[in-house]
Amino acid sequence: MTPVHATFGEVAAERRIASVPLSHVSVELGHLYMEDFEAGPDRLREQFRRVAPWLATVRSLWRERVPGGRARVSTCFLVDDYFSRFSTPAELVPMVLEAAAEHDLSIDYLARESACAQSGGVELARLVEDRLVDDPPPETDGSRPPVKETGWLCNGSRSPRTAPLQAMGKARPWEPPAQNAKRGHSIFVDVELWDEKGPRRTWSCPFLAAVWQLLRLGLLRSEGRVPLPPVALDGGWPRDWDGLPAVVRLNPQAAPFSAYTTLSVLSPRFLPVELAVRTILSQVAVDDEVLRQVATRSESEGVRLEEELVDRISYVFV
Amino acid sequence: MLVIGEVHTGLLQNSGEISESTCRQVLGLMAGESVRVSRRPIVHALSPERLTGVDCALPAASRSRIRGVGTVVSRCAVTGGRVAQGSSYVRVVRSETDRRLPWSHYLSRPGVVEVLGKAKAADLAEGFTGDPAPGCLDLGAVSGRFLDLVQASPLLDRRAPFKIPRTSLRWVAETGEPSIRFTLHTEQERTLRLTHPGPFTPAVVDLCEDLATHDWLLTSLLVIVERARIGATPGAQAVARLAPAIDHLMHLWMPAARVEEWLTPFWESLERRPGFTRQWRSLVDRVRDQVAMNTLALLSATAEAGRR
Repeated sequence: MTPVHATFGEVAAERRIASVPLSHVSVELGHLYMEDFEAGPDRLREQFRRVAPWLATVRSLWRERVPGGRARVSTCFLVDDYFSRFSTPAELVPMVLEAAAEHDLSIDYLARESACAQSGGVELARLVEDRLVDDPPPETDGSRPPVKETGWLCNGSRSPRTAPLQAMGKARPWEPPAQNAKRGHSIFVDVELWDEKGPRRTWSCPFLAAVWQLLRLGLLRSEGRVPLPPVALDGGWPRDWDGLPAVVRLNPQAAPFSAYTTLSVLSPRFLPVELAVRTILSQVAVDDEVLRQVATRSESEGVRLEEELVDRISYVFV
Repeated sequence: MLVIGEVHTGLLQNSGEISESTCRQVLGLMAGESVRVSRRPIVHALSPERLTGVDCALPAASRSRIRGVGTVVSRCAVTGGRVAQGSSYVRVVRSETDRRLPWSHYLSRPGVVEVLGKAKAADLAEGFTGDPAPGCLDLGAVSGRFLDLVQASPLLDRRAPFKIPRTSLRWVAETGEPSIRFTLHTEQERTLRLTHPGPFTPAVVDLCEDLATHDWLLTSLLVIVERARIGATPGAQAVARLAPAIDHLMHLWMPAARVEEWLTPFWESLERRPGFTRQWRSLVDRVRDQVAMNTLALLSATAEAGRR
């Protein structure tokens, strides 16, 4: 008898990572906070007026870049329902869509900020927190666990603690913090990721914004599945934010929500937040398999992506 | 250039073996990532992988200062609900620049440590399996912490049936003509030099972990048999001391169960020399013979008592 070649498999022993449809670029047309809402629809119209030319520019740039000019560009809009609850979807969303339409902008997807913390049984923020790999200062050899200040993340070494002056003792002079990858001089950044009051943890705005970027880049998975896929809304807008899906598809013809790259058009007042976001994102280890999936896909359609994920994110501050 | 790793293996700090579902909880080191479990021919649970950032000197036999920056991959495993492991490794490659780059560069290459400046693979391989200088990349500490993480799980009762030291296996894998060299150093330290055909794949790590598990089993069984002082203590006492081996270890021997086919020749060559399974079988036979003899002694004593 000839030898029989046996194969045996066990599903629970394998890792399956779903893939996600991807656009070329995801453009964030705006991010609405309570203060913007309180300022009235004029603030929104002003935002869309500023954004419109940049969206047109991005579209034409990608048309040039993509073979055949078939650029897939999707647009999104984020509403803050995490740090403060205001208005209702039924009242707010039509107003936003109307203001956008006045500038010939179409919002393809609408997302809730609280979904970046938790939605549909998936704690996206925890998922990203577990994927943080601290930027090690020189002489980090693994012999000790990474130095951590709970709830904070920095891009270098913090100043050594200066103990209060003790009797008979000399106060230790201040020593500066240092950035790990500095060029000549340091730009040291220390970001608060969350705080806790009793059992409730509040994620910081930069942390949720980092989650939001990862979601738009299609780089998150939960148990191998794509978290929070966009959902089309049947019927009218709900009267409560919790009744709204995490990511709503507004335009049935829209290009995919997630994309190879992202562009956010923001007011310069968000500059410090985005510096913090980049500090966080440059310490997130995205799953190897997910990175490979995205790289293979982009190469197969002739798009060369930046290796580092922070380089796939761009901004226009206007 | 080469891949270096270290596996720490120990007895799970629990009175009995743990179930598959407990394994999943104990090894759930990362939100949103599942624990991989295989059930045939033995239950083996593997945690998701985590990364640790390093920027330090790499161990070199020449003691020249070689700086490496990147991430270490680590994971934990539980075999048969009884044997726990912490395992770490890095792929060492030459950097394209001689300065440290932004951290996001290294995170786009998980598990890679880039060497800034000049380095020879042989120098690093010798340095790592030799006696690394302090302040050099310490994979042992990283693996030790991951093993501690498992052992400190609140789901374990921390009442292990016997005390047995952890063992560490430091390994180096390179591409080339196939060869394997397994060396015992102290009671608890082992090194493995492996040259495999074709490029490195994580299957090589599986092989090293499998060897570490079986080396630990063999070491532990030897310790238990030694502690039983067969011949020097009364039979019943010796058998009582051998009981933990029967209860907790003897069914766990499954060499090369999780090793990919192209790597099984490496296991097979170690089976020829030094012959792990040969030694294991002889020890197991010895334990069983002791139990059999003691049972016979008990039976004849009972019969004797009945005749009186």
